[in-house]
Amino acid sequence: MSAATLRRLIVIVLIALWEILPRAGLIPELFLPSLSSTLAAGWNEAGEYGHALAVTLYEVAISMAFACGGGILLGAIVGSLPRPRILIMPMVSSLYAVPLVILYPVFTVWLGIGSESKIAFASIYGFLPTMLATAAGIQTIDPQLLLAARSMGATLSQRLVRVIIPAAIPTVLSGLRVGGALVIVGVVVSEMLISSAGIGYLISRYRTILDSPHVFAGVLLVLAMAIAFNAAIKWIERKAAIWQTGTRAGQTAAEEIAPSTLQPAT
Amino acid sequence: MQPLANITPLKPAGAIEVRNVGQIFKTTTQDVVALDNVSLDVKPGRFVVLVGPSGCGKSTLLMMMAGLRQQTSGTITISGAPIPEPDPNRVGVVFQEASLFPWLTAEENVEFPLALRRVKKDERRAKAQDALKLVGLDGFGKRHPHELSGGMKQRVSIARGLVQDPPVLLMDEPFAALDEQTRMTMGDELLRIWAATGKTVVFVTHSLTEAVYLADEVIVMSPRPGRIVDHLQVSLPRPRTYEMLSGDAFGSLRDRIWRHIRKSA
Repeated sequence: MSAATLRRLIVIVLIALWEILPRAGLIPELFLPSLSSTLAAGWNEAGEYGHALAVTLYEVAISMAFACGGGILLGAIVGSLPRPRILIMPMVSSLYAVPLVILYPVFTVWLGIGSESKIAFASIYGFLPTMLATAAGIQTIDPQLLLAARSMGATLSQRLVRVIIPAAIPTVLSGLRVGGALVIVGVVVSEMLISSAGIGYLISRYRTILDSPHVFAGVLLVLAMAIAFNAAIKWIERKAAIWQTGTRAGQTAAEEIAPSTLQPAT
Repeated sequence: MQPLANITPLKPAGAIEVRNVGQIFKTTTQDVVALDNVSLDVKPGRFVVLVGPSGCGKSTLLMMMAGLRQQTSGTITISGAPIPEPDPNRVGVVFQEASLFPWLTAEENVEFPLALRRVKKDERRAKAQDALKLVGLDGFGKRHPHELSGGMKQRVSIARGLVQDPPVLLMDEPFAALDEQTRMTMGDELLRIWAATGKTVVFVTHSLTEAVYLADEVIVMSPRPGRIVDHLQVSLPRPRTYEMLSGDAFGSLRDRIWRHIRKSA
């Protein structure tokens, strides 16, 4: 049996157990409501969940734009110019150990408990790995490639568009994968802490009234969101970086920085 | 008929003139003299090899001929004109193995210098095809570099250097990363391409055997400061064959180069 088939089989078994174990009374409904009752709960409140999903998706989209846009821009600057690198990198490295979620209460004071504070928090949360990956991606470009381009008469802007950007794409995408995942974490966590809308808010509200099926319906939605995001990144990677098979340099660089930036959410 | 008096006599295409060239690298602690008063004439169509121990400035000299680096003093002219910046119409450059763009196919790599000049797609493709055919890679155009062997990658690099048909081809240790057998084959291939195109070739290498095998002339350099210590004419007949490697003429030339290098190492 191939690994892929086995993986699918494991997922199917887990889903089946989710339905069977609570129904058989082996696990109390409060701890784990069955899949069918979770889906039913979600379906009955489809309007409420739909609205919450829209709020969360909106916050994720804006944060993603800030985190990825800002991360790539600043990462490109830090990666290509030595002076900003000397100024910024030590600060960024020392931020590793800080659980950024402590900033969230401050943001709610500044921006209120609406979407703005979530966007601010999630943007910063996803920004760091994107920036670091972009900087690493640009720093690890083989100088030989740039020299070759110059020998063929490439101007500075041609070197940027035709060499630096395509060469940095694999590493930048690895950074986006981590950064984007952290944006989703950031939005949901901040909604669970202090807020009045979104999926995180629904999960935490239903939890306080011990309504497990509705809690799990929210959890399912977050899961679906994360899976969809991952699939999107994989699709982009396949489209944009067919040449990765040739060089692992970009990927290893991203793998080196990824674990240290993945902090626990709270 | 036009009067000839006010027409400057043009140097023939492919001639290289290096006059009293010096290169000083400034570091924070001291100035390093990489090249000191180097003069050299390469006639069109000649195959000239630069050898010397590491740090003798042979690659630096090549980079200056390519317009990739400016000398501190002296002048360099290619086909009679100075070369303040890279000019692929006058000079093609071939580097060590890893200089192909891994995200482009072989064909697109060869087209790259033409694409920079916004040459039309059809014309680009046709020229790339011709160049690939010349280096013996007909039919491999759609492959990416990671799908090619080391020797094939270097063939693509040579095709890329030749695609704009410059009279001069500069090669910076192009076969250094290849294994011995591939290296020999590529040497023969390069001589075939050279004979077919009539380019002026300046070739940098560490290998004395490769130097004598390929060259019309071998320039031997010494390190710190980089100077020319010998200029040998290789009068072995062409085409060169594998049997010449064990001949007396070949051996005495190689020994002469080795004595210079041993002295300075």
